[in-house]
Amino acid sequence: MAGITPEAGQQLRAVATLRRQLVLNSLRSVRGRMNLVSRSIAGLLVIAAGLGGGLALGATAWELTRTHKLEWLAAFFWIVFLFWQFFPVMATAFTQNIDTSALLRFPLSYKTYFLVRLAMGTLDIATALGLFWSFGLAIGVSAAAPRLIPWVITAVLAFIAFNVLLARAIFVWIEHWLSRRRSREIMGLLFFVLMIAFQFIGPALDHYSKRPASQRFGYVAKVAPVQRAFPPGLTSRMIAAADRGNSAGALGALILLIVYSGAALSLLHLRLRQQYRGDNPEGNATSSPKSADSTVRWGWKLPFFSGPVSAVFEKEIRYFSRSGPMLFTMIMPLVVILLLWGGRKSFLQHQSEFFFPIGAGYCLLVMTNVVYNSFGADGGGIQSFLIAPVTFRQVVFAKNLAQFAVLVVEVAILLLGVSLIYRPPHVVFLVLTFCWYLFAAPINFGVGNLLSLYSPKKIDYAVFGRQRASETTIFASLAVQLVVMGIGALAIFLGYEYADYWLGTLVLAVLAIPAIVAYLILMRRIDRIVMTRREVLATELCKA
Amino acid sequence: MESADASLLWYARILVEAAILTENLTRRFGEFTAVQDVNLQVETGQFYGFLGPNGAGKSTTIKMLTGLMAPTSGRMQILGLDLATHMVDVKRQIGVVPEGMALFGRLTGSEYLNFVGRMYGLERAVAAQRAAELLDFMELMDHPKTLITDYSHGMQKKLAMAAAVIHGPKVLFLDEPFEGVDAIASNTLKAMLQRMISRGATIFLTSHVLEIVERLCTHVGIINNGKLVAQGSLDELRSGIADETSPGERMSLEEFFLKTVGGPRTAAQELSWLG
Repeated sequence: MAGITPEAGQQLRAVATLRRQLVLNSLRSVRGRMNLVSRSIAGLLVIAAGLGGGLALGATAWELTRTHKLEWLAAFFWIVFLFWQFFPVMATAFTQNIDTSALLRFPLSYKTYFLVRLAMGTLDIATALGLFWSFGLAIGVSAAAPRLIPWVITAVLAFIAFNVLLARAIFVWIEHWLSRRRSREIMGLLFFVLMIAFQFIGPALDHYSKRPASQRFGYVAKVAPVQRAFPPGLTSRMIAAADRGNSAGALGALILLIVYSGAALSLLHLRLRQQYRGDNPEGNATSSPKSADSTVRWGWKLPFFSGPVSAVFEKEIRYFSRSGPMLFTMIMPLVVILLLWGGRKSFLQHQSEFFFPIGAGYCLLVMTNVVYNSFGADGGGIQSFLIAPVTFRQVVFAKNLAQFAVLVVEVAILLLGVSLIYRPPHVVFLVLTFCWYLFAAPINFGVGNLLSLYSPKKIDYAVFGRQRASETTIFASLAVQLVVMGIGALAIFLGYEYADYWLGTLVLAVLAIPAIVAYLILMRRIDRIVMTRREVLATELCKA
Repeated sequence: MESADASLLWYARILVEAAILTENLTRRFGEFTAVQDVNLQVETGQFYGFLGPNGAGKSTTIKMLTGLMAPTSGRMQILGLDLATHMVDVKRQIGVVPEGMALFGRLTGSEYLNFVGRMYGLERAVAAQRAAELLDFMELMDHPKTLITDYSHGMQKKLAMAAAVIHGPKVLFLDEPFEGVDAIASNTLKAMLQRMISRGATIFLTSHVLEIVERLCTHVGIINNGKLVAQGSLDELRSGIADETSPGERMSLEEFFLKTVGGPRTAAQELSWLG
């Protein structure tokens, strides 16, 4: 810890102890222990992915080094780089960070604060896998050409340093933008565009893979010089230059890599310095345009439903329309339609009859976030439900109704899109999808309601990188989705095997009956469950 | 025989038109007893201040009285209705500003009041009209499109208060209603509470600020270490009637409070290293 004062060292140790204590204290509750089990499974998966990926990349690097095709290493450094930078942004559900900015009230020097933010933030899945894979590449090259070891180690360490610094810089800047509601909404839109862009990677690769080899290599030849100017390309360039004995070239690439790392460091420093000085705009901004209006619009009234159910339904729809992630859920069918439109002449053209059921399944899958932690966005508002003179069954039912209404709208848009792009789905696929929904929706809503009550987690849109649901919820929802999707796929397979899709439809219709009955039984017991869970719900969702 | 006597006593207390009545109200968290054998009696029309040091059991008690938390043992009656068996009926007649204010951050003030009004069974038109009146009274009408999450703390407190009264409750429970509220907002809230009392409502509030309780409340209960250590009208407590150790002695609420729950530490206990 050279350059760190004894006081700073003590503070860093205190923060590390705090983190350890937080983990240990979380084990006091059953939920905490269940989360530990889920986290351990996730940890094992990460280790498996890290070791497996590292081994595969190592073997590839070894082969490329042996055959003196080291420039191709760039492709793998790019994969590692893209994963390292985008995974934490896209999969916040699997990352957990403590709010280290709260440490600002203690007499920490800026250097200590910087180190804490850097160290604590790097204990995530992306960094772990990035490290495994980078070292895998380094070991592969070193094993094939031991004379390159000093160069490889230097290049990979510089690459790792750049990635760690850039990932942290992106994280703190996004956190800063998300702390303002307006910029949060703009960020939500950008994320949405980015997610759509990701959906097109598959079709695009498929599209270009059908081009003649000469044309494909032409594209690569165009891209190669450009990518070489960026850190993943520079890392590979440095190793390749060293392999050719071009030390000057290798040093040049290293210097550029260090410059990039310096730029990332400056970005990180700029934001953390602002934060250290107190520029934390998480406070309230009440400077909205003042236009006094002495009337208040009437609330919604749903036909056939009571006032409280209508009120909760209205509240849910307003919440949907005002949050980025939920809005993303609502416009999912547009993404599916865009995908279909993108692939209409290529990879999808022979499976057009499955578009509608697959798209509908995708819509339900995306709703998981909302259904399995349905009180998460309510935060302290949960107490409004608990103190109101209504049965909780009405509240949960209204929430499910709103979620189902969103699904119906999504599926209707999907149906319209599929009909316009190709042709209206055959009636058997319409009925099959309908029956699958009758089976899958009650199961999802039922299990989702239970997990929402037993494993609630407050969703705070003002912070970035916190989990959207508990680990238990994530794993349980994945398991349920696997089952319902698997049964849907089996029903389609059955229809395909016997050349009669009505058979699969019948199976789903039969399965829908126990699913609906189970949902209704659960709803009858909801109030009893809430009476025993109300304190946990209020405590968990009212957390500051 | 003893339990029969206890039941008789319980029903006798109910006859006294108690708005809030508890018998041996107890709440344990594992080994820790947060509230122990609390017997509250708040009569209709009283402005009751519930005082106690931090961690004394104030919030736990108010949570139990409003149905947010289950008691480990004991009985509770609100307006003559047993909370264990008539939870929804009781909730219909009470208003609550809980500790976390119970707001939905991504609704506007008017949307939230509309929502709460309808949860309490008000017609849409009535809910909208009362929401408009309350927003006007609380001086929140200038921010029709602002989301609650963007309100200041004081504005949120005023909105939570408005939501608690939109259905015209007979009993109002307020957990630290003046915490973090500026003097102007505080005056608005006090005016509204006084008006409710003058119209026959019952108010039960917890507060750390003794001056507020002294100025607003007619009756006070003091809880310490989970036990109700004093209860009575403000005058009774001030004149020492409720204090058996020094009958007849007149003292301020603060003096009485400190005497009851334990005064400041002695010089010997002071921190020697502190400037």
